Amino acid sequence: MLKHKCLDQCIACTACTVQCPVTAAAREFAGPKMVGPALERFRLFDQDIEISADYCTNCKNCDITCPSSVPVSLFSTLAKAQYRRQNGKSLRDWILVNGEMFARLASPVASFANITMNNAVVRTMLRAVGIADRPLPKYAEKNFYRQFAELKQQRFPDKVVFFPGCYIGYNDPRVGMDLVAILQASRYEVIVPDVVCCGTPAVANGYLELAEEKARRNLRELRRWAREGWPIVTCCTSCGLTLRQEYCELFRANGADEVASQHYDAGEFLLEMLEQGRLNSEFIPLAGKYLYHAPCHLRAQGIGLPSLELLQSIPGCEVNVADAGCCGIAGSYGFKKDKYDIAMKIGERLFTKIKDSQADMVVTECGTCRIQIEYATGVKAVHPVSLFKQALRFDWVG
Amino acid sequence: MRESDVIVIGGGLAGLMAAATAARQGKKVTLLTKGAGTLTVGSGVIDVLGYVNATAVISPYQSITALSADHPYTIMGRETVEQGLESFLAICREEGYPFTGSLHQNIWLPTVAGTLKPSCLAPESMNPLGMECAAKVVVVGFQGLKDFYPRLVVKGLKHSAPYRSNYHIVGIDLQLTGGRDVTFLDIARRLDTAEGRGSLVKCLSAHVGSGDWVLLPPVLGTEPDYNIWKQLEQELGCRLVELVAPPPAVTGSRLHKLFVRHLRRLGVNIVENAFVRSADCSKHHCRAVISQGLGREREYFADAFILATGGFLGGGIIAEPGRVYEPIMGLPVETYAAWKMWSKHDLFACTGQMFGRTGIRVNRQLNPIDSRGEIVLQNVYLAGKMLAGYDYCLEKSGNGVAVVSGYQAAIMALAGVKGC
Repeated sequence: MLKHKCLDQCIACTACTVQCPVTAAAREFAGPKMVGPALERFRLFDQDIEISADYCTNCKNCDITCPSSVPVSLFSTLAKAQYRRQNGKSLRDWILVNGEMFARLASPVASFANITMNNAVVRTMLRAVGIADRPLPKYAEKNFYRQFAELKQQRFPDKVVFFPGCYIGYNDPRVGMDLVAILQASRYEVIVPDVVCCGTPAVANGYLELAEEKARRNLRELRRWAREGWPIVTCCTSCGLTLRQEYCELFRANGADEVASQHYDAGEFLLEMLEQGRLNSEFIPLAGKYLYHAPCHLRAQGIGLPSLELLQSIPGCEVNVADAGCCGIAGSYGFKKDKYDIAMKIGERLFTKIKDSQADMVVTECGTCRIQIEYATGVKAVHPVSLFKQALRFDWVG
Repeated sequence: MRESDVIVIGGGLAGLMAAATAARQGKKVTLLTKGAGTLTVGSGVIDVLGYVNATAVISPYQSITALSADHPYTIMGRETVEQGLESFLAICREEGYPFTGSLHQNIWLPTVAGTLKPSCLAPESMNPLGMECAAKVVVVGFQGLKDFYPRLVVKGLKHSAPYRSNYHIVGIDLQLTGGRDVTFLDIARRLDTAEGRGSLVKCLSAHVGSGDWVLLPPVLGTEPDYNIWKQLEQELGCRLVELVAPPPAVTGSRLHKLFVRHLRRLGVNIVENAFVRSADCSKHHCRAVISQGLGREREYFADAFILATGGFLGGGIIAEPGRVYEPIMGLPVETYAAWKMWSKHDLFACTGQMFGRTGIRVNRQLNPIDSRGEIVLQNVYLAGKMLAGYDYCLEKSGNGVAVVSGYQAAIMALAGVKGC
């Protein structure tokens, strides 16, 4: 059903607009109901362009909210792509959409790149093209792919296909390595497939042709593993949602269904392992007070908050849910100069909640949510997989 | 897979109330929702019984006895209605947003259309009792706000007793310029900020004094608390009343937030965007419900299931030409007449529309029953608009049935769960 454009199911109840974080923060945005289904009716007849489509962050709260199963965000994304096609491409968005390319170039010389990025000249150039004046995510000294290649895995008959995604791949490889460690200890062999960026930034910025190219490239590789019956696991909730929803909904690409049905969020997979007694480990009590923030792209997946359940099973671990809405960054959105203020305003409720909570740490799956939270509150944010690994006692020699 | 004591399907008021009731008894509850429900855009006031046979109800408690034998209130009993509403009031109190009202006396709530609507429980900030003694009544309009016309409010209220006093209109400009239409929610968000409240007080204080009453659309903040209402009453030195409004009515969204917060506090596992498609049932027992949205199917196991997926609007009951069905468990739907007879030409006929009463018949325990009165599924309990035998549009009983049947479905589910 989600794969069809169910336009007539929209009864204009406004529930999506009520829950839209961007509508709450920016009067310039006409809101998901208007930009999505309402104007789509006009677009069926005419090349009607809605300029404010550009304000949509693709956070999917409209889809989560809609009581009538209207794929609201799909219509907004198509509108944005149409706007993009007619108004030409911007250098700034092209840079943000091609983050993976820059990461590949920068990764071998990470320390140099990290210094250069924050150099006054480069910052001035970035500002000139429209990138916000905030620290850019640092590249890891040794990226995930190199760390993984150097790892001597134990061979096991059960395999897990791990899709690391750009942020874990090049910026925060520890999360990926932590997952690999837990899986190896639980007698799984990890396969890292030959994939490229999932395409989330391209989708969110209306570069659908580029996103489709990536989708088809990734599906060719992932379908092979899906057919062998191996679970495909992501730690990044945006990569996960893209594999699960966007590939099916936007592109109806070959193999998208097969891959979607084999996809697991890491928390979901670990929780199933725990329940099946497959987690080959004992818990070490984990002291501390944690606040869990559910990324929008996890909430949209319809699987609940598995990482929260996982963390709640750790003895001594006090973890509360923030339940304070979107953090505002939406991947590349918060790095845009003209969207920066909106991104910060969206996250205000969450930031206040975090500061008031007196939590030692925030726990959340999404890499850019972590960037935004640390930037806005100064409170450290970690991926639940990393925290979970700290609570496990296992002897594993890598 | 994970197993819960009780699984509630549906995130509207009935489902939220059911989940809260079961969780308050210490049970492990999972709430599966698809969409945030109409509560988020509605007025959130609890109409229990506004009209019977097109006559306004003074005391819902008294008038319940006049309802037909197949009405959910009659089936559950008047004491249950009382208990359900008490429990609802307790939840609102505990969460710091107490509601006012009693089952024994309806309140006539003024609306943005200038009408009075009989309701039973409402937020304190909507309570007009005492307004008849106002020195003057000031209706506040906001620049650019759609769906709100102060002159319409005044025109209507002047004709409906007991508010015939001295009406004044004050227009306020909160500088919500540019972009889209201004909605109640936009104003409420502006008044969430100290700056917004400051400009309201500045504009209004010249026009109001002690003994005055001020009527506004539902804009006194987006959070389920009375901080903004109380602060403004204090600063302006007069009484403020929020009117009943169409979507996005803000007051319903506050109640939704309140319930979600309450459920989180009680440790309810809320699964958003979970589209329950089918159930694993054998004989008279349901083992699991199966969700499928994106990707693969997921099974959710429990001892008892509460189905609160709504009526035609919520998707709990689906109508097609010549066919009406309940999509998850295939429960028998009572339609009362052949489908050509479902609707009358006169849309607002005071006898109501046949399709308005369509739903699933239940026994006293709220188990679904078939046309012979036999229980279809023993560990499944129904709540909210999917119940047969009442027309909420006609009798103004929507949220009342939702609250009470949500409460009762959970109580019955717990009684049915092993070891309770």
